[in-house]
Amino acid sequence: MPSPALLLLIATLLPLASFVVLLLWGKRIGNPYAGHIGTLAVAGSFVCSVLAMIFWLYAGADNSLSWGANKAPIEISFPWIPTGDALWPAGHAPAKPGYMDLSIYVDSLTVVMFVMITIVATSVHVFSIKYMHEDARFPRFFTYLGLFCFSMLGLVLGGTILQLFVFWELVGLCSYLLIGFWYEKKSASNAAIKAFIANRVGDLGFLVGFGILFYHLGNASLPALYGMLGSAGSGGDITIGSGASAVVFSSTALTLMGLGLFCGAVGKSAQFPLHVWLPDAMEGPTPVSALIHAATMVAAGVYLVGRIFPILTPEAKLVIATIGLITLTMAALIAITQSDIKKVLAYSTVSQLGYMMLAMGVGSWMGGLFHLITHAFFKALLFLGSGSVIHAAHHEQELPQYGGLAHRIPWTAGTFLVGVLAIAGLGFGPLGFSGFFSKDTILVDAAQFAQLSGGKIYWIYFIVPVIVAYITAFYMMRCWTLTFAGKPRNRHLYDHAHEDPVMFIPLVVLAILAVGGGYIGVQSMLRNSIQETRAYVSSDRQAFVGFDTAFQHRLPGEPSEMAAESVDAGLVEEEHHDAIYEKAHHLVVMYVTPAFLVGIGLAFVIYRKGYRYTDAMLRFAPLKALHTFLYRKMYIDELHNALFVGGAHVVARLCGMVDKYVVDGLVNVVAYAARVVAWISGIHDKYVIDGAVVGSGKLAWLIGGIGRGAQTGRVRGYVTLMILVFAAGLVVAMACYLA
Amino acid sequence: MMTQMLAAGSIGLMHYLVVAAIMFCCGVATILLKRNAIGILIGIELILNAANVNLVAFNRYPAPGAGAVDGQIFAIFVIVLAAAEAAVALAILLNFYNNFATVDVERADNLKG
Repeated sequence: MPSPALLLLIATLLPLASFVVLLLWGKRIGNPYAGHIGTLAVAGSFVCSVLAMIFWLYAGADNSLSWGANKAPIEISFPWIPTGDALWPAGHAPAKPGYMDLSIYVDSLTVVMFVMITIVATSVHVFSIKYMHEDARFPRFFTYLGLFCFSMLGLVLGGTILQLFVFWELVGLCSYLLIGFWYEKKSASNAAIKAFIANRVGDLGFLVGFGILFYHLGNASLPALYGMLGSAGSGGDITIGSGASAVVFSSTALTLMGLGLFCGAVGKSAQFPLHVWLPDAMEGPTPVSALIHAATMVAAGVYLVGRIFPILTPEAKLVIATIGLITLTMAALIAITQSDIKKVLAYSTVSQLGYMMLAMGVGSWMGGLFHLITHAFFKALLFLGSGSVIHAAHHEQELPQYGGLAHRIPWTAGTFLVGVLAIAGLGFGPLGFSGFFSKDTILVDAAQFAQLSGGKIYWIYFIVPVIVAYITAFYMMRCWTLTFAGKPRNRHLYDHAHEDPVMFIPLVVLAILAVGGGYIGVQSMLRNSIQETRAYVSSDRQAFVGFDTAFQHRLPGEPSEMAAESVDAGLVEEEHHDAIYEKAHHLVVMYVTPAFLVGIGLAFVIYRKGYRYTDAMLRFAPLKALHTFLYRKMYIDELHNALFVGGAHVVARLCGMVDKYVVDGLVNVVAYAARVVAWISGIHDKYVIDGAVVGSGKLAWLIGGIGRGAQTGRVRGYVTLMILVFAAGLVVAMACYLA
Repeated sequence: MMTQMLAAGSIGLMHYLVVAAIMFCCGVATILLKRNAIGILIGIELILNAANVNLVAFNRYPAPGAGAVDGQIFAIFVIVLAAAEAAVALAILLNFYNNFATVDVERADNLKG
């Protein structure tokens, strides 16, 4: 029986192979065979992932098919980067001392994520063969998709935070490439750049967080982190090791580390205030929106928070919950007014990601990741549905142009409705669409959090998401009604609409998953994953809290004794817990279950006749103002422009002035000084040096002039002189002799 | 001393010396006054012969060593050298004449500084 890890590795590498093949020979393979290759590769990944899941589940100690609780995660590591000493928890060793690991980490969460990603990716690939068949860069599209699938699977498979970051950047790159796939359109290339920059801002935080972590531990393997920092949830400082070599990881540093890593998730998962890139990312081809910007990549942030969940402090979790709360509310409100079908879905995605972050923040690990999986199914379905609509409508995306399309494209209308019902959370008791279960899990946990945390203010983390659940049902049904119901508002578009089997088969597959996603064992797998992660926490660090129930018994500012107490006296607490759970569950059943009925009913009634009622409502000035405010996306883009782009401009102008006047001035002064010195040197050269040379020449000339007077050239002159001198000498000699 | 020597009545050394001095002066005067190169050469011959007279006279009178003919031999050498000198001088003179078409030494001032 092959190891699940090996199968998952193959599943990861298959899209890479297709990427390489298409990169090298894509043009020659051409349309549509390039699409077939990409699809086959990712379908192979899907088969491997499903096999891995089967083997994973089958690998019980007694070789029986069990739901495999308390199974140890598979961890395979290789030495990677030499880093010197690192801290490791007891019973854990690096692949090679002094080296950072490169590792594969497989637990139930990994397996579930793999199956989800590959099934969505396969559907999207199949859909794209038809959707993109007219595109000139058809092979290139599948090349990028292959790279993306590889990166996304690698992200999930990686066992260290650093590996996560590497693949994190790779998916960001793919996202950039695919948003800007139609780069001839200015808006598309701008959107790609915007997405990239927004992600960079988040990634800076990620790096800071990673830096804090790495500085303290010198090690970033997930199991090692769980083992050493698993008690972060209790909020105190953590001392690793003992004696002189002990390393203290203060709770402040832990919080900062968590928030830093969360910053990366804010960028990637489009949380407030970095959510602005996701709606713009809808400029990319619709299958890309379905795969990357709805189902998988944007969920990577939630996945990251899920992976580092055990090492988050209560303070960090509170920030995460707050950001999630702001995001989900804001995006849902904006989604009500958008008129572009993909923008509605984009804001709905942002809102649902907000739900997941809120879940993480309030300690609903289960709820957040469960919602991640179900959301991937129904949001991929909705996006592919919208792709089918857009394809049918010849790339018209505005809701006012639609209407009545259910008669022309019934399969799309039906599956889209399934998606709407799933996201709205249709269900009662044990029966329901996938979204019903996951959203209820989150809300029940939020209610428990509100009760346990004591303060009345914390109820906001329950009440607001409940209200937004109503809004969610409303705006999704609005979208459906305006598209498929009522009378056609554009007769020409209506007459030419058609759908294609290649496109609606993936829709049907995803619709089945959107309906049944709550039953197929995702929850039990996630519960297993919690057990598996717990196994890493040594017995003296059992305060490993908030995984499947609620936050923690403590909030920032309160003493942490209660945490210790509740761990010691876990059994005593249990009854108390049950009561809290019952109350939370009761609240959710009372107030959330009717959400879909109210929201969907209201939307259907209002928009059944197109815009007739809403146009009337918009004549009321305050409503009109509110509509404009929401339609312009709460002016957040404008705010970013003013604050950051404007700020950057101001800084740039300042820098320009400094450059122009200070730096250039300095250079000019130096140049001027050089000129002055050169001038002085020139004077010196001209008068001193040249003067000496010329002067010595002149002196020689003068002396020569004196000497040449005697040289008449006349022989008789010389003789005369000679005789005169001789005579004079004679006279002197005579005089001397006689004297 | 000179007058004593001249007044001695007989022809003595002093007479020769006076003759030689007159010859010498004549030679020098010739050199100084003649513009003709040939004349100058003749002047030089006069000076050389004045010296020869002195040499022979000094050998005859003041030095008592009888039979010694050093002065005469020296004079013969001078004559030989004078002949050689005259040959060289005449060669120079011919070249000078070729270049300037004259033997006037006043024209030979190319060495003027």
